[in-house]
Amino acid sequence: MTRDDFLRRLRAGLRGLPAADIDNIIADYQAHFAEGAAAGRGEAEIAAALGDPERVVRELRAEAGLKRWEAERNPSAAASAVFAVLGLGAIDVLILLPILLSVGGTLFGFFIAAVACFAAGAVMFAAGPFVVIGAPVAALLLSGLGLMAAAASVAAVATLVTIGLINALVWYGRLHMRLLKPALGQEEISA
Amino acid sequence: MVEAVQVQLKKGVLELCVLALLSRGDAYAYEIAGRLAKGIEMGEGTVYPLMRRMQADGLVDTYLVESSAGPSRKYYKLTAVGRASFAAQKTEWSAFSAAVNDILGGAQ
Repeated sequence: MTRDDFLRRLRAGLRGLPAADIDNIIADYQAHFAEGAAAGRGEAEIAAALGDPERVVRELRAEAGLKRWEAERNPSAAASAVFAVLGLGAIDVLILLPILLSVGGTLFGFFIAAVACFAAGAVMFAAGPFVVIGAPVAALLLSGLGLMAAAASVAAVATLVTIGLINALVWYGRLHMRLLKPALGQEEISA
Repeated sequence: MVEAVQVQLKKGVLELCVLALLSRGDAYAYEIAGRLAKGIEMGEGTVYPLMRRMQADGLVDTYLVESSAGPSRKYYKLTAVGRASFAAQKTEWSAFSAAVNDILGGAQ
């Protein structure tokens, strides 16, 4: 692999990251090739020692995804963190996916239940005194409020569990980041 | 099996090794990569993602130095946070490796 091949594959893999980050990363590897050439090494030798550009890309992208989740706790950042970890191949997707889906489904169910409960509470609170005749107004108001409060706390707990789950996944991904896999001895290098 | 163990072991101490190298003096990435590749046989390409992460974590900082031949070099130096992290990790590593050696020695 030549210097230009390596840099082209690197750049292709990094597409979608902020332009300034891509430029910085490419500049790092350009400098590496320049230093290597100054030390009398050939392009192919330097590229082989650097390792597979796609592997470097996976690590850089994974790190970018995890960083985003740490910086901004929102659903889109959570999705990118999960995909980054999966992209690393750190977790066996076949094992993880059913677990993630069932846990995710359960959490989703809790959210839906919380929303429905909240709506029921709101209706009881607002419309109850007019619709149900004969019942004490204060009791209707209070049970409406109570339902809404219970729904809000279920939603809060489900949110906390979701955040905890994604944090655990990020931790697991970090643990398994294969930063050190020796560059040589990988099948793609010989190609 | 042996190879997998080695990869796991190296992964855990890579950051510590970079902190240790930089604690002896500022260096540019090519030097760090060469030093680590020779010492613990890691791919040179992986030093760059690692350095980016350490910089994002505030452990290291960079500055440019004009070079007489070729473009200017980006040097890495430890920050105060990086020095503190190195001291803490080094202590932890020493205690851990002593304990492991103790157990390994007892197994023979």
